[in-house]
Amino acid sequence: MLTRYLSLAVKNLRRRLVRTTLTVAGVGLAVAVAVSLGGFVLGYREAIDKSIEMLGFQVMIMAKGCPYEAATLMLKGGTGLLYLPSDTYEKVKRDDAIDAITPIFVGIAQKEASSIRDEGSEKTFTVVDGIEVPSFTAMKPWLKFKGGAGYAGGKWFDQASKDEVVLGYELAEYEQRKVGDTFYATITPFGKPDLVRHEFKVAGVLERTGTQDDGTVFMPIDAARAAFNRPNQLTILGLKLKQFNAANMREFETKWLKLPEVQVVSLQQVKTTLISLVSTAQTMIAAVAVIAVIVALIGVINTILMSVYERTGEIGIMKALGARRSDIFQLVWLETLMICLIGSIVGSIGAWVGAGLVEKAIKSLADLGVSGSIVRITPGVIGWAMSGSIALGFFAGLYPAWRAASMRPVDAIREGAS
Amino acid sequence: MTVALLAIPREAFAAIGCTLSNPAQDLKYLFPEMTSYKEDLKEFPRLNDGAELFKSLKARLGSDLDPIYETYETPYTVYGIYKGKTKIGVVHGVNVSGKGGVIQVFLSTDPNTAAIKKFFFQRLESPASTALRDKAFRSQFEGLTLADFYKHDYYAVAEPGAAADKVGKLAVPKIDAAGKPDYDATIRGIRKNLILLDFFVYGKRFEPFFEKAQTVKAGGTKQ
Repeated sequence: MLTRYLSLAVKNLRRRLVRTTLTVAGVGLAVAVAVSLGGFVLGYREAIDKSIEMLGFQVMIMAKGCPYEAATLMLKGGTGLLYLPSDTYEKVKRDDAIDAITPIFVGIAQKEASSIRDEGSEKTFTVVDGIEVPSFTAMKPWLKFKGGAGYAGGKWFDQASKDEVVLGYELAEYEQRKVGDTFYATITPFGKPDLVRHEFKVAGVLERTGTQDDGTVFMPIDAARAAFNRPNQLTILGLKLKQFNAANMREFETKWLKLPEVQVVSLQQVKTTLISLVSTAQTMIAAVAVIAVIVALIGVINTILMSVYERTGEIGIMKALGARRSDIFQLVWLETLMICLIGSIVGSIGAWVGAGLVEKAIKSLADLGVSGSIVRITPGVIGWAMSGSIALGFFAGLYPAWRAASMRPVDAIREGAS
Repeated sequence: MTVALLAIPREAFAAIGCTLSNPAQDLKYLFPEMTSYKEDLKEFPRLNDGAELFKSLKARLGSDLDPIYETYETPYTVYGIYKGKTKIGVVHGVNVSGKGGVIQVFLSTDPNTAAIKKFFFQRLESPASTALRDKAFRSQFEGLTLADFYKHDYYAVAEPGAAADKVGKLAVPKIDAAGKPDYDATIRGIRKNLILLDFFVYGKRFEPFFEKAQTVKAGGTKQ
């Protein structure tokens, strides 16, 4: 019986192919928007989680400023850096609540940007992290050296070295550097007017991590401080607490906020800040998606109703030949559901195929503070969108189906004939 | 405090090939009369005689290829420049490893004669940067073809200091020892660029000059 209904429903839809196609396209567009939004919400949260997890710390101590600035500084890099006195490290590291701590000096080196103009190129920048290798790698045990031709023998620099660096994967690829090569970094020492070009030897190239570390130059913290002429400063203290929970964090924060120059930022706070920053945009996109769904819904109801009116005589004859109210109801309802189902499949495929473009568009419109993919379309997201579309089709088909089923055969045949 | 996001070009990170950063603007800058351009991606694995061409690249370049950044799989983008339907130029860039970073050497060439119309850098970070970017230095290459480089190889053996050796007469910019590797890499980049263009665009028209140079190098008869 269902096969017959299906066959009849398909025939009816194919009789008005252009109209059916346009209606399906409308549903598809709404579903594509909904899937993309779902993919963005999911992908962005995962990107934040991954970026924060890959920082390796639970808490950061840094110079006073905006926590969002602090977050993006660590997650994506940035300029306008603020520095702490280096003795902050000596003071904080004695705290019993701390499980692990690492000091990081962040500086910005100048690089030549790409330009073919005779008048010279714009400058671009690269992040230089001055680190203490043992404590830093303890926080990020996943950092591994790239092997194979050109990269074999990669290792961390000697902490006392002044001319060795380790490059993140993407930076090494961008600069086409291998282990043992020379690497130029142009640095403006603090308080001095002139740029100084430094020559470093590449001690190792890290494997890709998908984080800011991929574009970073790592060097010994003292060498970085000397190059930037900030011998007694550091940028961040990354920490892990022995017991990390809200109460301990509050206690720890209260203790160290007494230092006049510092702010204590938990990565949970950073995560909340980043999510709240995009929540407004997500709400707006969701509103657009809701409007698209409503428009698509009206389109579906309109299409099916028109189809019912056009087939008034036909429905009358079907009823006169013995079709029951439920037969007519199911037939029209099935047509609606088919439009929504096909539309949801088309929209889901469109969203999946276009995910890269959506991601590019979002990233070009706003900086979201994380690196890596921010749109993740999973079977779950597609499943939800398709279920939603079918559920809407379920309701959208009720009125036209009821309307068709309620026609009296004689009236319907007369109306259809006129 | 202002955070300016780092201008680390992620797209550039993703490719080891050498493409113009802003093709439309850059090509219009080079060819103000341009009305359109086409990008043609060339990869040795996709060419019928790709393996043979790649093998011959090293011999024509006269130096080893970098095993990571100058591989068989490295993609090359050739830009064809048009005024209406007429092709008015060809632009192509290559990466070469400089002392402290990558050097991107671009050439624009005449579509008919294959002569260099303009030589320029897209990326160059070097102690010799000012000297190498200097217009007077770069303009010396205008009008040269790959034949002139092959002829230089020939003259270097057969008639050192020959008046007809255009490449031999190029004035070396004043650079100190720290900048010398980048000068050498630049010259290698120009030659590599011309060889690839000869392969991809000009139908290996300069092969006879290469063969002549090889013959004389091998101690054959001077022709």
